[in-house]
Amino acid sequence: MKKFKRLAAILLAGAMVFGLAACGETAVNTPASTADTTVSTSTDTANTDVEPAASSDEKVKLTMWCIATEGDSNRASYEKAIADMKEKYPNVEFEWEAIENETYKTKIAAAMAANEVPDIFFTWSCAFLGDFVKEGKVYCLDDTLAKYSSELPESMLGNTTYDGKHYGVPLTMNIVALFANMDLLAQAGWDKVPENYDELMQCCDDLLAAGIIPFGCAGGETWCVTEYLEPIIQKTIGSKALNDIFVNGATYDNPDVAKAVDTFQAMIDKGYFDPAGASLPNDDVKQNFIDGRTAFYQNGTWNCADFSKVDGLNVKVTEFPVIDSSKSKLGQLIGGPSDTLAVSASSPNAELAAEYAAELGKLICHYGYLDGCGLPAWIPYGDTSNINPLTQAVAEICANADSYVLFGDTAQSAVDKDPYLDAVAKVYGKELDGAGFIAELKQNIR
Amino acid sequence: MYRKNKGIHIFLFLLPALALFIGVLIYPIFASVHHSLFEYRTFTDPGQFVGFKNYTDLFTPQYDFGKAIINALILAALSVFIQLPLSLGLALMLGKGIKGERVYLSVYFMPVLISAVVIGMLWEKIYNPIYGLVTKTFEYFNWSGLPAAGLLGDKKTALLAVFIPTIWQYVGYHMLMMYAGVKSVSPDLREAAMLDGATDSQINRYIIIPCIKPIIKVSIIFAITGSLKSYDLIKVFAKDAYNCSYKVPSLLLVRYAFHNAGGIASAIAVMMIIMCFAFAIIINQMFKERD
Repeated sequence: MKKFKRLAAILLAGAMVFGLAACGETAVNTPASTADTTVSTSTDTANTDVEPAASSDEKVKLTMWCIATEGDSNRASYEKAIADMKEKYPNVEFEWEAIENETYKTKIAAAMAANEVPDIFFTWSCAFLGDFVKEGKVYCLDDTLAKYSSELPESMLGNTTYDGKHYGVPLTMNIVALFANMDLLAQAGWDKVPENYDELMQCCDDLLAAGIIPFGCAGGETWCVTEYLEPIIQKTIGSKALNDIFVNGATYDNPDVAKAVDTFQAMIDKGYFDPAGASLPNDDVKQNFIDGRTAFYQNGTWNCADFSKVDGLNVKVTEFPVIDSSKSKLGQLIGGPSDTLAVSASSPNAELAAEYAAELGKLICHYGYLDGCGLPAWIPYGDTSNINPLTQAVAEICANADSYVLFGDTAQSAVDKDPYLDAVAKVYGKELDGAGFIAELKQNIR
Repeated sequence: MYRKNKGIHIFLFLLPALALFIGVLIYPIFASVHHSLFEYRTFTDPGQFVGFKNYTDLFTPQYDFGKAIINALILAALSVFIQLPLSLGLALMLGKGIKGERVYLSVYFMPVLISAVVIGMLWEKIYNPIYGLVTKTFEYFNWSGLPAAGLLGDKKTALLAVFIPTIWQYVGYHMLMMYAGVKSVSPDLREAAMLDGATDSQINRYIIIPCIKPIIKVSIIFAITGSLKSYDLIKVFAKDAYNCSYKVPSLLLVRYAFHNAGGIASAIAVMMIIMCFAFAIIINQMFKERD
């Protein structure tokens, strides 16, 4: 009995200490039609006049979660759009909350499980939203978006369409691009951005000889490593092969993927990457680029807004050059419309929330484009002549795009994403070479 | 009759606490065991029954749980053999009643009051490979040997670099518990020993430490179970990095719980519970034998 009491006491003590532990085919996207029009001004579709839309006196409360925190480059576009919406929908009492990116992914997943999702929520397209759609948690927007067919091209809805039904309002679209600090390149004897792979390698050698580190990459955030690795794989094996792997279930067991990984590691071995970036977060690495510590920074084009605001920063933007021209070509890009607003199926005012989300999405897209936070998924309207030159250069890259492959961590399902990012981190940490990368992913994914 | 009623009354008074205890602590443990036997790719759908597959999968390279366990055990060892002796030393020194005792007590206890996130960000700046205090100190004295990637970026040094603030933060916590124990020892015993000619170290060894053994036992249990479930500070360092060299079980648990692998996450939770129970029983047995 005494023993039982002691054991029971230990069990209960352990339980108290650890209670908390328990609580615990699509084809390759073809370039969007809007990409061709992004540098032009289209006033015929303009809808800039803010007119009250709802006439009912009864106040309806709508809630939204998003990731436009104070430090986010999209924050201003959200604030302006929401201010416009307050005038347009005076009967809607709108409450919104911005949550930090990584925390948001966890919070929205937990909220979905508990059916405590706000009426409107930010999401990434493809697999991320797809998981929620499969569970029946997302309101279908077919009827709502049909009213906007002249302003929102069907090609921009591909990543949020499941079984032929639309579930998301796309905002801006972004691609991975190579930003170059032209002042640092000039110090290494380069007055232009390298135009092909051999030139890029030569430029890196010249930069090193001049005591300048070529690339900065944030190892503290593995998605930043994919911003380097994915374009290298794409420009080695081609868009179709990469999209087949990400989206259509093709195996990673492809010797050309291994070759691309080895190419990336050869660049690391040559000292092209800032070693200090190994544990740093993206904000620090981005700041290092702005401060002139590294000559190149490869990341999403949402950075155009921030770079264009820095006085004296002479930056040009380009796409990563082709490595194997027999399989890939210029214009094959990583990216596409991913940032999306969706409506909860459990919202008591789902129909109104859908209409509100569509209007809000259009405005966020509009202001985001004007601020340089990306290219518009919606057909642009109003005066777009003051858009920063970097965003205009990105628009030109997209205008000449051949095909898009969505970011690997968005395109792949949540189940596949983890082993993929684990393997990418191992590649950057030199724990896996090309052969090891494809072998591990073949075993852990398919 | 009165006896019968007395029993009912006791039961009724204990019932709310018991219900809360079972609902909040015991039920989730059994729920975790149940969940660990299923796929649970989403929160609401258990998926297929997979038996103990989740437990065997944990030790494959994909989940790398073995490495996480080893890291947690290293942290536990460092806690027991570095953190607790430091805490005990400070408690014994302050317990003697030195000048400025209260000030020292507050200073040593201060890190416990600071949020783990703040401490993590503070140490991250200290370790920064470009402008961090460590880097600048090495540069100032022209010392070599600091990895170019910084202490956090190099696989050989990252584990220790992360564990140093983890251990540092809770030195004050254990010190305070032991200090309370030291202060509760009767001054008569200390005075009697002094009259008999005992030195400070002899008084500590033969009188104070044996008197505070129950507190040392609790500290060891807290240090080990705390190390096995350490999360917050390590998460600040790990950020969104996959495959970091200082992964610990809780870090994997949270990741898989929200990344469509609820069965795996539950298996990790169950393993952690078992390990905590095991260590608690072992430590109790060890102290019982010595008693």
